[in-house]
Amino acid sequence: MEHIYNDFTINIATANGTGSQSSNLILLNSMFQMGVPVSGKNLFPSNIAGLPTWFIIRASDDGYQAPGNKAHIQILMNKDSWRKDLEKLEPGTLVVYNEDVKLPIDRDDCPAFGMPMTKMARGINPKLARLMCNMYYVGGLAHLLGIDEDVINECVSNQFKGKEKAIEFNLRAIGEGRAYAAENWADESPYHVESRDKDPDTFLVEGNEAVALGAIYGGVNLLSWYPITPSSSMAESMIEWLPELREADDGGTTCAVIQAEDELAAAGMVVGAGWAGGRGMTCTSGPGISLMSEFIGLSYFAEVPGVIWDINRVGPSTGLPTRTQQGDLSMLYEASHGDTQHVVLIPGTVDECFEYGWKAFDYAERLQTVVFGFSDLDLGMNRWSTAGFEYPSTPMDRGKVIRTQKEMDAVANYGRYRDVDGDGIPYRTLPGSGLDPILYRGTGHDEDGIYSEDPDVYYATVSRLRRKIDGARDLLPAPLIREEEEQQIGVIYYGSMENSITEIDDMLESTGLSVSTCRVRALPYHSEVEGFIERHEKVIVLEINRDGQLYGILRKELPSNLLARLHSVAYTDGIPPRARVYADKILETLEVAA
Amino acid sequence: MSVLKLNVINLEKSEYTGGKSTLCPGCGHDQVSNVIIQAAWENGIPPEGIAKMSGIGCSSKTPAYFFGKSHGFNTVHGRMPSVTTGANMVNRSLSFIAVTGDGDTASIGIGQFVHAIRRNLDMVYIVENNGVYGLTKGQYSATVEKGSRKKKGEANAQPPIDLCAMAINLGCSFVARSFSGSKKQLTALVRAAMGHRGMAVIDVISPCVTFSNNDESYKSYNYVKANDEVLHLLDYIPHFTPMEEVDIPEGEYEDIEMFDGSTLRLETIGSDHDPSDAMSALKAIHQAERENSHVTGLLYYEAGLQTADEVLGLTEAPLSGLSEAEMRPSRQSLDDVNAALRAA
Repeated sequence: MEHIYNDFTINIATANGTGSQSSNLILLNSMFQMGVPVSGKNLFPSNIAGLPTWFIIRASDDGYQAPGNKAHIQILMNKDSWRKDLEKLEPGTLVVYNEDVKLPIDRDDCPAFGMPMTKMARGINPKLARLMCNMYYVGGLAHLLGIDEDVINECVSNQFKGKEKAIEFNLRAIGEGRAYAAENWADESPYHVESRDKDPDTFLVEGNEAVALGAIYGGVNLLSWYPITPSSSMAESMIEWLPELREADDGGTTCAVIQAEDELAAAGMVVGAGWAGGRGMTCTSGPGISLMSEFIGLSYFAEVPGVIWDINRVGPSTGLPTRTQQGDLSMLYEASHGDTQHVVLIPGTVDECFEYGWKAFDYAERLQTVVFGFSDLDLGMNRWSTAGFEYPSTPMDRGKVIRTQKEMDAVANYGRYRDVDGDGIPYRTLPGSGLDPILYRGTGHDEDGIYSEDPDVYYATVSRLRRKIDGARDLLPAPLIREEEEQQIGVIYYGSMENSITEIDDMLESTGLSVSTCRVRALPYHSEVEGFIERHEKVIVLEINRDGQLYGILRKELPSNLLARLHSVAYTDGIPPRARVYADKILETLEVAA
Repeated sequence: MSVLKLNVINLEKSEYTGGKSTLCPGCGHDQVSNVIIQAAWENGIPPEGIAKMSGIGCSSKTPAYFFGKSHGFNTVHGRMPSVTTGANMVNRSLSFIAVTGDGDTASIGIGQFVHAIRRNLDMVYIVENNGVYGLTKGQYSATVEKGSRKKKGEANAQPPIDLCAMAINLGCSFVARSFSGSKKQLTALVRAAMGHRGMAVIDVISPCVTFSNNDESYKSYNYVKANDEVLHLLDYIPHFTPMEEVDIPEGEYEDIEMFDGSTLRLETIGSDHDPSDAMSALKAIHQAERENSHVTGLLYYEAGLQTADEVLGLTEAPLSGLSEAEMRPSRQSLDDVNAALRAA
């Protein structure tokens, strides 16, 4: 038998609300602690309990983090998805199943490993059997794959920190599962884990928690939020970390947290905080952005700083609330009525989630406008590896705020909306200062903030706004470019596609192509993106949406002589991008374009 | 009240005035603006410490016509409370004085109104209530009485939303109703609201001279003047005026002490109304509604409720003035965070 080390995908099919997430995280963390390059994807339903849920664990010495292109090991625990899950398997897939579900394994071509998991769990605690049975597949897999026992023990202890009874029960279940497998499972597994040298600094963390911590180090003063999947865990992480990190000397907090009545109010509070001189943020998903659009326009036009994180889920409408997509990008870039243009920061790793978490406030206050952070369910709610977050490398940029009469005197010809410095960014004063107060408004206004419907004044205002935001592109994070010497094919992508790009790139290069990649990290896009396109014969814009939203933005803003090189590859089905699917679509597109 | 040239902080009244009104000549809203100016001046509030807030509509344009030395925000339709909430959280030293309309408050922004009350946001919330949408030329609003008729078109067929009754039911700590033509009563109420800590709602019936000042409208000048049941005669005694100097009115009275030490003196006329009794307040409102009249005065008052900023346990200093060192945790703390995540 061929033995395969650290290169396989496990698909675990369970029912939502049966505690399987704990089992899955113990498996994931154990492999991670052994130094196995591993990634986990939770495909969960919009439901609290009962509906089918899958967890995909991929081990890959090549560092591939996309969900695998097929399952090598299938765990069957859920009667509702049993038949369909079985049908999909390729011949040779190992099937580990709970015998107590009492459904047949009618696949002669797949080695099957049964265990009476519910019955065994009842032996430990009859009341908890429905939850505990999930620990038996952990034991079974530990046996098949060769997962280190001490590592599992440690992961269980961490998972149920402080709950001694839970630790005891779960360890017993895993141990029994392992022993049962050793005794009863005759066939051997070709798949194994093998310890690798792990950087002791690395750990796994959700993108949402990384942004939350970044915002706390960015000096956030107000978090207003309305619960919505998949963004809620960002707000909840902040609530968890704030007491430890943001307590003032008098014991009070330096960041207000308000669960708002709806997304409109959440956005309004951010605008109010920015207007009064604080750092306000909210986090939401696409439906929330739709509701916030009115305030986004106010922030843009009245020039009030604020930060909004969009953790993209599948739209349109309520869509697939627990699945991932990059379908909100063009909405964010031009949100709200009238001509608008917004800064969008697009992290692709948890390190960037942290970094843009704090930087977003600097950009918002520098540019006096709303700044979006754009993440998605895959990056936000799954766990990714980091070697530790890096402390902000630059001091806070509070922007052009006049706080004293002396500072006011130093600005020649001050007007709230006058472009004194020629960069499109005016100066502002804060409520409470008594310095040159105005009535802020979303209506037309002149350079002094006075109501105006004058045609020339209006055009001058919106032209300056265009200059301000469009002119900021090179202040924003530059793209991450990995360039081949032979500049044949360029692939532009962004955000969580980062987790699949290495594998896609390898698949393309295996066909003899020379492929460079360019990860866009902000809108309006940096001038280096244009340079990248200029240097490549054919450029693919690769996205997790239906319509090619970044492609559309590039087509609108690039010089026309470059447009013929651009080709859109956009696909979305709610699942994090499987490399094979996107690589094949790129190859098809290149063939048509040849 | 004697006519003073300077108030207690040595400012002339002109320090509190604003731009020229662009509302219709004779609009009740301009009278409310004058009362707001008078009240803030008499109370001696520093103009730079005021934040004037509004939504969208005729009423919400008025902050341009008062407090020219104060920052303000003419926000979006119905959503002024959320902007005020955000601003209040980052600068709790500001005095928030808001003017909105019945479209803002009873329709598009009713949710934000409700939740601002629920949080007990520390602000003065004045509704200039005329029962019509003025800027869009005279559609009925949700506060107009059933059967009320504007100058043109059908009578209103829907029952009204009574903002004061709603506010009392939600636990609002200061609820009053007045009339833009009742300068003395309104001034006392606005002054008391400015001295109150917490959400103070004043529903001011302010007739629309253009679209519904005909006598068939229950919110017209003549109708309100003729059908106004005054609960109390009001006198406001600021904290900086010793009590002995104030003429004690004849008859029964009740003193209400405000957060800043000022006193609102209620001289009871007619049936007794205890402003700490929510049921009595609601009864008075519903009784008046049944009789197609308006009951005015301080309807309900409760002192000492925690405000939104107090509930959140904010640090004392306004967050907008904090230094980087106070807002960004130390380098060491991030090492600790990383270590904690490694061990998790």
